[in-house]
Amino acid sequence: MKCPRCEFDQISTIAKSPQAGVWEVYQCDQCFYSWRSTEDPKVADVFKLTKEQIDNLQVIPPVPPLEV
Amino acid sequence: MGKFKVHQDLRGFLKTLEEEGQLVHITDEVLPEPDIGSAGRAASRMTNGPAVQFDNIKGYGPGYSVVTNVHGSWANHALMMGMPKTATTKEQFEELNRRWDLFPVAPNIVSRDEAPCKENVVEGDDVNLFDLLPLYRINEQDGGFFIGKPATVTADPRDPGNFNKVNVGTYRIQVKGKNRIGMQCLAMHDIAVQLREAEKKNEKLPFAIALGNAPLVTFMASTPIAFDQNEYEFVGALQDGVPADIVKADTSEHLYVPAGSEVILEGYIDPRVRTCEGPFGEFPGSYSGCRSQTEGVITHITYRTNPIFENIYLGMPWTEIDFLMALNTSVPIYKQLHDEGFPEVVAVNAMYTHGFTEIISLKPRYGGHATGAAFKLLSTPHAMPYCHNVILVDDFVDPFDLNQVVWALSTRVRPDKDVKVIQNCAGMPLNPSEEVPGMTAKLIIDATTPVDPEPLKRSVELLRDPAKTAEYAKIIADLQAAL
Repeated sequence: MKCPRCEFDQISTIAKSPQAGVWEVYQCDQCFYSWRSTEDPKVADVFKLTKEQIDNLQVIPPVPPLEV
Repeated sequence: MGKFKVHQDLRGFLKTLEEEGQLVHITDEVLPEPDIGSAGRAASRMTNGPAVQFDNIKGYGPGYSVVTNVHGSWANHALMMGMPKTATTKEQFEELNRRWDLFPVAPNIVSRDEAPCKENVVEGDDVNLFDLLPLYRINEQDGGFFIGKPATVTADPRDPGNFNKVNVGTYRIQVKGKNRIGMQCLAMHDIAVQLREAEKKNEKLPFAIALGNAPLVTFMASTPIAFDQNEYEFVGALQDGVPADIVKADTSEHLYVPAGSEVILEGYIDPRVRTCEGPFGEFPGSYSGCRSQTEGVITHITYRTNPIFENIYLGMPWTEIDFLMALNTSVPIYKQLHDEGFPEVVAVNAMYTHGFTEIISLKPRYGGHATGAAFKLLSTPHAMPYCHNVILVDDFVDPFDLNQVVWALSTRVRPDKDVKVIQNCAGMPLNPSEEVPGMTAKLIIDATTPVDPEPLKRSVELLRDPAKTAEYAKIIADLQAAL
């Protein structure tokens, strides 16, 4: 299974339906996109991500310098 | 005190909504996507749309429910305040102004045994957000399952025992695992000030997140007030003097949570960690992009038996969030102008996209005075980043009546003199018009009548209502009602 957004191939199952066997929820280990097995995720091109984009996202809020 | 009905929890408010015809139940089995988001969209588009509760969600079974659009109409907003559901926007604004002045009303701290939110506990490895809450994707291109209506409680690490600096705020949450969440802490928000202090020392910032709250708790959590003003003391004021019931959090000495809330998530923000978050369909009517944002860990949960998961729909305005953030944005800004140097201000409408555009109604005393009120507005804590466009109208123009506002723009504005643009000011990153998120220009349009020493070369005599207009308004309404 690949991430529908960044095509990373390491996907975790983060939830299973409380009623057994109805659905599962998956999450990409790289970009944290998540989806339910009952969905057919269609990520718009404008929201697709590359590893380089993920590494260079705007940081909110900025991390302050450490005060020792 | 006692004149208005007060709700200390969500359940009590849902009962009122149901009695007033402002809550409907969907009992057919539905998948979480796209049904719950779709219902939130549809209900908030209706005139006086109801709250919508889903009682049968596929994969969850009995005992689970989701409610959306709780604040999503002027009728529900009025009922939140204990007013008749027919109260107008202006009447609700004026009543909120009256109650605002009752601040501070100290909260009522109840014992753990008396607090419904403590009925059940899970902690450690047993924490699983998906087992507790029917989480779902709100809009199609959201990057995951979001909680859009939390009341997140944090303290100031520099002064953790100071109750006035305990913050209760609404900051969106993306669920990232059974016990991990992404949180949006924008630099201008109080929580970011607190987080900065913790992160300087590489310390965790403890939080308690209340979900499914008394309606005025949610209202105050999304109200911009000063850093050292406590939200619970405002809840008591807005409950017309009836104190908010709160209880100490289980895992933090200094945090207090609403006693009647459905669910309390306790944990901490992981210091100096940022991971990919978003996109999320936001209140400006567009998706926020992906950003690298903070992460939290949930270590301890308390909840009422069969908790009701309350969530919000955000989309192309107006949606529930526009009702929720309409008057709670307008009233504090009105107070900051009227009570702090501009008593000539009679009303402020900051209802549009959380105050991106704001309309001030005032009676200017001298030439340029109205522009001064705009400068004052643009230096208040919320409007400084959020407000892009300021429209100034005379005191006799109702800023909540856009027909009157556009009349003022049409008949009072001299484009060569009354329109000002100020470059390179603070912005709000969620506004998609900002080329650099967080930076913007400001537009001021003075649509007031010129006052001396500004020249007014042409005489303008306003039309007045004929003498018996009010009398005839009643006669005609009664005749129409009898048809």
